[in-house]
Amino acid sequence: MIDETDELIQRAARSLKALPATNPLANARIIAAVRARRAQTPSRIVQVAQWMREPTLSAASAAFLAAAALVVGFVAGGALRTADGTSPEIAATTERPVPPGPAPALSAANTHGDVAVALLFEARNAKSVAVVGDFNNWDATSSPMKRFGSDGPWTTTVRAKPGRHVYAFLVDGTTVVADPRAPRARDLDYGGDASVLMVTTP
Amino acid sequence: MTRLRKLALAVVLLTGATAASAAAQDYSRLALIRDDVTRDVVRGLLGGAFSRGVPTEPLMAKALEGVAKKASTTKIRDAMNALEKRMRRAQDLLGKDASVDELAAGADALSVGVNEKTLARMRKAAPRRSIALELGVLTELVARGVGPSKASEMVLSLMGRNATGVQLTALSNDVQGDVAAGLNPEVALTLRGKGIMSLLPPPPSANTLQPRPK
Amino acid sequence: MSEIDPAVALRAKRGDEQAFIEVVQFYYPRCLRFARNMLGSDQDAEEAVQDAFVRVHDSFGRFREDARFDPWLFRILANRCRTLLARSRRHRSLIEYGEVPLSAAAPAEDFGADWAEEVRMVLDTLPAEQREAFLLRHVEDLSYEDIAAATGVGLSALRMRVKRACDALRARLTEVEQPNDR
Repeated sequence: MIDETDELIQRAARSLKALPATNPLANARIIAAVRARRAQTPSRIVQVAQWMREPTLSAASAAFLAAAALVVGFVAGGALRTADGTSPEIAATTERPVPPGPAPALSAANTHGDVAVALLFEARNAKSVAVVGDFNNWDATSSPMKRFGSDGPWTTTVRAKPGRHVYAFLVDGTTVVADPRAPRARDLDYGGDASVLMVTTP
Repeated sequence: MTRLRKLALAVVLLTGATAASAAAQDYSRLALIRDDVTRDVVRGLLGGAFSRGVPTEPLMAKALEGVAKKASTTKIRDAMNALEKRMRRAQDLLGKDASVDELAAGADALSVGVNEKTLARMRKAAPRRSIALELGVLTELVARGVGPSKASEMVLSLMGRNATGVQLTALSNDVQGDVAAGLNPEVALTLRGKGIMSLLPPPPSANTLQPRPK
Repeated sequence: MSEIDPAVALRAKRGDEQAFIEVVQFYYPRCLRFARNMLGSDQDAEEAVQDAFVRVHDSFGRFREDARFDPWLFRILANRCRTLLARSRRHRSLIEYGEVPLSAAAPAEDFGADWAEEVRMVLDTLPAEQREAFLLRHVEDLSYEDIAAATGVGLSALRMRVKRACDALRARLTEVEQPNDR
């Protein structure tokens, strides 16, 4: 329909029609953000509240809950004396220059007060990448990242409380790399830079 | 079982089990430290902190951070000791009921040079809710180059006007962006702070604050 | 303008992540083009598009299976752009309020002959609703009926908005092409 247009308007419209290139990184960022939305699950507190509303639960089930809690505490405490075993190789910090871009994180909150945050990292030649930070106690086993596509960026979703967090990426289990897309702060304890993630209230 | 009894039982179970299992989890993470000497040192420091009533979770995280960064045992020990000291100080300033998140955030604020009195004033301004986010925003402002006293005054003023967590985080992010673009940190803080203030209702007359709006 | 296979949109609605990825890959360039033309800033445009796709994901449950996907997507995207425009207006007033010295924007006359740049400049001077209607009609090639579905505005009001946008473009661009006192 060329109703109210003339050649001038058509030229103007054509000049605005150039399509930007497909951007796999931006697409990966969107998918990571969507995964963060999907990562929301009911919290344990909500489940307990649910249990309290159930009129049919017996004292026996409450006692079972108590016993289960104690067993968990006891077994985990046992690791104090038997601390040993395998761990990921963890090693020195190196920086890898990557062009800056907009902040990678997009977040969604659950009823727990934790907020799911999507993180994204480009490391084409890496065989594995994990996120380590104060939100997962720098435990390299807790937040492995997955590749987006066959050789796309690495993405994952972490949960963090509202506030300021520092984190990094652990590449191939050996190299700690700051997030090139996040603001940096000096690491006053171990030297080098830390990446900063500000998580807002849900 | 009546609902009241269920509630009582749930409270007892949750509080007891949470404290015990949190510490136990930290000890279980010792397995992630492969070096025997470092592991023994860390275990000793965790035990000492636990006996002094200091939460062990941030200390264990600090140790694992050091391991990830291939720090020496001495550096890890020093970092853990310094953190425990700051957390104890934060505990004194924020009160014995302060959460682990608040203590860790308070320790971070102290580490960048925030005055101790500021922590006490922040607690007084919001005695009954977590101020971990406010402390994090303060730390971040100082990390961006704003002087600790200017940053403290701004955060306290915004708390006094019941700024939301979203507004406080926006302040921090905006100042970060302005500083990255070359603006003087304190000019950026003044500018952004004024902007948020202009959106807030006048200060409440009461001394204490309402719960922070979501 | 081609639309995505409706079966893919339906699979995405039903939670198929691979289908959702296909939707994002298919529409991303068009969405980014629209958001850039609306907002005039690459960074804001990327933010608007990302937010829009997250909202598409969140509200897929409300997308009727017999409806067309394009107008629905552009409705969400146009809403995000309006929100960001409002935010950037607040930002501009904040800058003025704070009296931070910023280099003043160059007046329109200082811009050179770059045609696309000139078109963008004129677009930026239009009220947002006229710009939106013009872009949806003449750049995204949506029918008036689809634009009505996307914006919730009646057909005659939409035609008026597009006409006013065209009049403004015509007046300004004619002036640029035939400078009278140079």
